[in-house]
Amino acid sequence: MKILIIEDEVTLSEAIVEYLDGEGHLCEVAYTYDDAVEKIELYPYDCLVVDINLPGGSGLDLIRLVKKKSITVGIIIVSARNSLDNRIEGLEIGADHYLTKPFHLAELNAHLKSIHRRISFNGSNELVLNEIKLIPDEHRAFVLDQELVLTKKEYELLLFFISNKNKIITKAGLAEHLWGDHMDSADSYDFIYTHIKNLRRELLKKGCMDYIRTIYGLGYKFDVT
Amino acid sequence: MRLLTKTTLNLLSISLFIYLFGIIAFYYSLRVQVDSNVNKEMDKRKASIVRQMEEAHSSVAQPPNRNEMVLVTPVERKSSADRYADTLIFNKEEQRYQLYRQLGFHDKVNNQNYFIQIFKSLEETDRLIVRIITTMTVLIVLLIIALLVVNRYSSRLVWGAFYDTVDKINRYDLNAHEDFALQESDVKEFKDLNRGLKAMTARIKNDYLNLKEYTENASHEIQTPLAIINSKLELLLQSGEMSEKQYRALADAYEASIRLSKYNSTLILLAKIENKQFPESKKVSPEAILDNLLENLDDLIRTKKIEVIRKITPDVSLQMNPYLAEMLIVNLVKNAVRHNVKGGKLVLKVDSGFLQISNTGPETALDENLLFKRYFKSSSSPESLGLGLAIVQKICALYGFDVRYQFQEGLHCMTVRFDNKVERV
Repeated sequence: MKILIIEDEVTLSEAIVEYLDGEGHLCEVAYTYDDAVEKIELYPYDCLVVDINLPGGSGLDLIRLVKKKSITVGIIIVSARNSLDNRIEGLEIGADHYLTKPFHLAELNAHLKSIHRRISFNGSNELVLNEIKLIPDEHRAFVLDQELVLTKKEYELLLFFISNKNKIITKAGLAEHLWGDHMDSADSYDFIYTHIKNLRRELLKKGCMDYIRTIYGLGYKFDVT
Repeated sequence: MRLLTKTTLNLLSISLFIYLFGIIAFYYSLRVQVDSNVNKEMDKRKASIVRQMEEAHSSVAQPPNRNEMVLVTPVERKSSADRYADTLIFNKEEQRYQLYRQLGFHDKVNNQNYFIQIFKSLEETDRLIVRIITTMTVLIVLLIIALLVVNRYSSRLVWGAFYDTVDKINRYDLNAHEDFALQESDVKEFKDLNRGLKAMTARIKNDYLNLKEYTENASHEIQTPLAIINSKLELLLQSGEMSEKQYRALADAYEASIRLSKYNSTLILLAKIENKQFPESKKVSPEAILDNLLENLDDLIRTKKIEVIRKITPDVSLQMNPYLAEMLIVNLVKNAVRHNVKGGKLVLKVDSGFLQISNTGPETALDENLLFKRYFKSSSSPESLGLGLAIVQKICALYGFDVRYQFQEGLHCMTVRFDNKVERV
């Protein structure tokens, strides 16, 4: 997937690019508003990652421009402005997701994956990883064609793992993905442990390989290598 | 008491006192004047009576006219002094006493000493004095009334600018983008007041905008470096072979950085609530927020085997900022779940007028005074930020809600009273 990262903070852009390159995406970077406009007009992208505060303009204006030109592209807003107004406005004018800085790269990656699935399969899609098959639209998961009995959170956990396979996912990243701002990360670690235990048991019961690895109290890795 | 009422009352009481005093003084001065006039007249009569008596060789004077009586009494000795006095004489025709001025004197006519008294009725002069005093009183009352009306009217005009200023101050909102425009006045004092107020509000607004800008900038400036730190640490994690020791160090750094960013955004949120930067307001349903929240926390609640008891009156709605409403309820419920015990209870009560979240927990009551302090942490969750209830309290203060903690029947209850704020749909 071809992604344009529009973010004036060079180090942050680099980190995003490095993470996403590892996922097999093709990333380009724009540091200013004008830079971004030029690139969007010249090249086709599958997805834009847009910061709202840009030198030379607002990321929201950039989104309006894209929508006016009817360019079909997935849009993720990445902003330090944790204000409800911006979030609502951003989503209203056509952004797919809104991430507040600082965000977890795994979270950004999961959102990009979901946009990727939407673009490539027009929404009706299956996500297959070895013996695991997910139908994201229906929130159902199968192992060797047997349906897994999962709670909503466990299903989300599995999808998040598969989206970030072979990467170390921190517990904080998982907590934020599952509960958003609703839980302080420290509180929810016990619950994450419980969910992962249940998910692993269910996967093993249906004959799946044990992919989930614990990384020294730091986080987890869905290791399919 | 309004200034106008106060000055009017003062004016009224003082002028009434002065006028009353003046009228009494006026009455007596008239009286004195009239008496001296009557005395002079009676002196003239005295001369004419003596002349008449000498000419007529008789002790009988001319028959008295209607307003006058003369009484001549023969006496042995003659005393020299004339005596003026007031006296009452019974009038048989009118059956009442009437006031007379009396002059008594002695005289010797044809070798006979007489004591002669002249009585002159004061009835008419009295009537005149009463009429004059009445007219004056009426005039003065009318004058006072006119003065009050004029005073009131002119005060309205003069103080109009002042009342306008007071009204504008009351309605002044730092968040409003309109200018602080005050009504012009030609009174120097009010001009000074308005000039001072304008300068003050301009200064406050300027400071406020600087502060606001600072909080927004701080949010952006701090969150971006934090985002860089977090993402670089995350990248480092993915980089491959590292020793367990290195991983653990990295994990600690990552965890600390995440906490730092949460602190930062929470403190910015508190500052924003304090600065009233959530002007948007609409009807929100506590029930909908609770439903949403319970669904999100469903797994946690089930893992802890917490029994959720709902006592929610349907269709209660609050007029407030939807984001803050969510923050308020989320923080209360989050605490109630976090500090709960396995197999405990979570009671959610919503009624028109209050929201109450109760939960089982440690068997001792918490200190309400410490509870709402920033960074207060219970021993059971040392890693929480300790800002949740500070947010709750700030939001309640913003909307004039009353939030209280109670420990009753083994339940820790947090009650938020909205009272005036609640509306039934």
